[in-house]
Formats: sequence, structure tokens, C-alpha cells
Amino acid sequence: DDLYCKFSFVYGQDWVPTAGLEEGISQITSKSSVLPTTLVWNLPIDITFKSTNPFGWPQIVLSVYGPDFFGHDVVRGYGAVHVPFVPGRHKRTIAMFVPESTSRLQQLTSWFTGRRPEFTDPKVVAQGEGREVTRVRSQGFVTVCFNVMTKDLHKLGYDVGSAQGPGPQGFHSF
Amino acid sequence: MAELHLFGQIEGGSGFPQRRLFCKWGLHAGAAWTLLAGAGAGQTQLDDPQVDDVAHWGHPLDMHLATKGLQGWPRLLLEVWHVDGWGRPGLAGYGVCHVPSAPGCHRVTCVTWRPRGTRAQRLLGTGGPQLRVPEVTAAGAGDRFRLSTESAGTVTLELGVVTRNMGRYGVALG
Repeated sequence: DDLYCKFSFVYGQDWVPTAGLEEGISQITSKSSVLPTTLVWNLPIDITFKSTNPFGWPQIVLSVYGPDFFGHDVVRGYGAVHVPFVPGRHKRTIAMFVPESTSRLQQLTSWFTGRRPEFTDPKVVAQGEGREVTRVRSQGFVTVCFNVMTKDLHKLGYDVGSAQGPGPQGFHSF
Repeated sequence: MAELHLFGQIEGGSGFPQRRLFCKWGLHAGAAWTLLAGAGAGQTQLDDPQVDDVAHWGHPLDMHLATKGLQGWPRLLLEVWHVDGWGRPGLAGYGVCHVPSAPGCHRVTCVTWRPRGTRAQRLLGTGGPQLRVPEVTAAGAGDRFRLSTESAGTVTLELGVVTRNMGRYGVALG
């Protein structure tokens, strides 16, 4: 209960955001008293990028925070996923994880003081380097829904394929 | 020169007898392929799952390859390792999967295996036998005769493929 989510976009050197918010924070949400017991943020995202190279395709990085037993604000999970490159509507469920300290004593003191291990820059989650020294605990999932439009990819010779499974391609606009 | 971009994540591993797992991955391709940008090998974080029995890594992949030919299509070699309570790593499984050839988003499930060893090794050894040069036996099909193995869990990957100029060379990828 009482969780909020921060999002930001991580992208390569050839990418530039041209419109929309690159970072944001959601409201603080709790579970409803009626089933189903999912937490709802319903946070809209709207961003436009421009690029010269698909390398470094943007990823969305999510960090979820909430109060612990003593009321301190602690990190509840980090996760990242690539923005889909196939035009259309996509739903992605991201597994969230929390860094874990290696020593038991540190785990005990951090439970009391509320200073849990966290990443100094959440954007680390979107990178592959340096992950081999991290110990984490995976807990929880966040669902993100994307609607993606691309422009001029085909003109430059790129083929991104079509979406898997049934999608809005079957509908004709009237 | 045709190009191939690979985006995606090594999502997680399941079905192994141990829960605290990490995965070492490497990209292997024939002589016609060159890696232009992105890391070609790496290691995921060590995950200790709390919610279910699936170790979630969420390790991002972003590679840019160029090629002069279709032979030696890139493969991902995965080595899943487990860490016991004392912090000692042991091998959990090896797996190879080809990068999907059709452009688009693919959900790939890679099955893994581990070398079996003799009965004496199984009784006395810690961690189980490992291949000395995993790249040779795992990445190629040539040298597996006489190797006895047993099946291990599965690794789930979300791989997205974007190609460029393949149509110009008359290649149909589907």
C-alpha cells in the first residue's frame, strides 16, 4: 500500500527527445477494499524521440517507492523495459527487483534505520554493464501499456516486422 | 552491408533446482558478422526471488551487427549459474539459442542442460561438473559426441530484431 512510481527514459547517444516529459512521478496509490487487489496508477506517458540510429533504442526505467514499517520512504522495486519498436499497441509486464546488501548485519540495521540499499542513479537498471556485482531480490510486477508510432523507418531501409498475435491491424478505419 | 539490431531482455530463468541464479551470456556469430556497437557478452545480476520460483533478471540487450553474408547467424550462448548459501557459484545449465531471423518481437524460451559426470563425481563433488571451454561444445554442433548431460531449467528471453537493407540483397526473412 501507499506506493508511488517514478519513470524516466534512458536512450543512446544518437537519440534526442523532441517532445513530451522525459521524467515523472505518479500519485501515491493503495489497494482497493474490493477485489481485484492490484495497485492502479493510470499514469499517462507521452514522448517523442528523434534518432539517426536504432542503437540505444529508448527504455523506460521505473522505480517504485513506498513507506516501510517505521514510515520511512524506501525503494520497493526497480525495473526497465525497451519501448517496443513495432508500431501498434503493446502491453509489457516488468518484474521489479530490489538491491540486497550482502551482509546480514547490514540488512538488519537498514531495516531499523530505513536506509535500504538503493541505486544512486536508477538509470543503471537500463544498462548491462556492472550488473554482475549486484545482488537483488525480485518482488512484484508493473504493467505498462504502449502505443507506438514510427516515422520514416521504412524509408531508411529498416524492417521492424509486424506485431505478434492479434492486434489492431485487423480493424479498418471508416 | 546489411545490418541487424537486437534489442530485448534476458527476462529470467525457471525450472532449476536452485532459486538464487544469475546468467552469463555471450553472442557468437560467424566470420561474416561484425559487432558495431553494444556489449557482446555480459553477466546478469544475482536474483533471489521472493514471490515465485522464477529468477527475474531483466538484463537489457542492445546490439548493432553488420554482415556480409548469412552464414553463421548469431547465437546467444547462455550459462546459468546458481549461488549457494555460502556464496559459492555452481553451474546450473548451458543453453544456446539462435537470434530470431524474422524482424519483430519474439518471446524465446531457451532450454538448458548440464553435464552429468560420473557417479563418483555426483556423490562427492560440489557444484557439479562444468565444461572447460563452453564456447566450443555449446556454441557449435561438432564436438558433443560422448558428452552425457541431463536436462536443466529454461531461460526466457524477449528478443526484438530490426534489420536493414536485407531486402536489397534479395534476402527474405519473413
